[in-house]
Amino acid sequence: MNMQPLTAKELEYIADSMSNEDLLIKQCTAAALSCTNLQIQQVLMHQSQVHMQQYQTLLNCLQQHQGIAPTQPSS
Amino acid sequence: MQQQQQQFLPDGDLAYTVLADLKRVTREYATAATESSCPVVRQQFTQLLNTSLAMQGELFTAMSQQQMYNTASPVIRQEIDKQMKQYQQTQQKTNQFVQQRKSTANPPSPQSYGGWAYQPAPQWQQQNNPQQPHSYM
Repeated sequence: MNMQPLTAKELEYIADSMSNEDLLIKQCTAAALSCTNLQIQQVLMHQSQVHMQQYQTLLNCLQQHQGIAPTQPSS
Repeated sequence: MQQQQQQFLPDGDLAYTVLADLKRVTREYATAATESSCPVVRQQFTQLLNTSLAMQGELFTAMSQQQMYNTASPVIRQEIDKQMKQYQQTQQKTNQFVQQRKSTANPPSPQSYGGWAYQPAPQWQQQNNPQQPHSYM
């Protein structure tokens, strides 16, 4: 698959998604810690790890596109 | 209840706040994937969508196993029957519509029609009139 430069829209979605994942990391961790139900606690703890990975994936995606982004706005 | 200090929220509510956000994030990934023009970005969002969907399902299952989620009551059979009959009719009408349009449309070259046995041969001769513009279909 050939990589194309990021559009403004794509960049917005990636940034918004990182905000979402960031919130979920904190939410899962906080909820797991105050939760008394062990099954739920286990699921939430596991998922907070997955959200960290997703966050990293999005960050990597930005990094990959950094190289091919134009340095000046095209007309 | 006695070993725990004052809980911030009941377990069910805690889990639900996460579940609600997973539902929202899943929708956002779906939108992001459909709005991406770069295939690499689209695939990335699709993958994130699938993982989020899996996590939402996982949490929902755990919550229902712990009786934290009451599922809506099932519909009665007549309700399903009603919808089924209505949409079978819709389907039939749409099929008729499609067939009609296909048979009256500017017919494409016979080769591209493949296995369509419905196309009547006489119509073909009429359309082959040399004054007709060439069909590019």
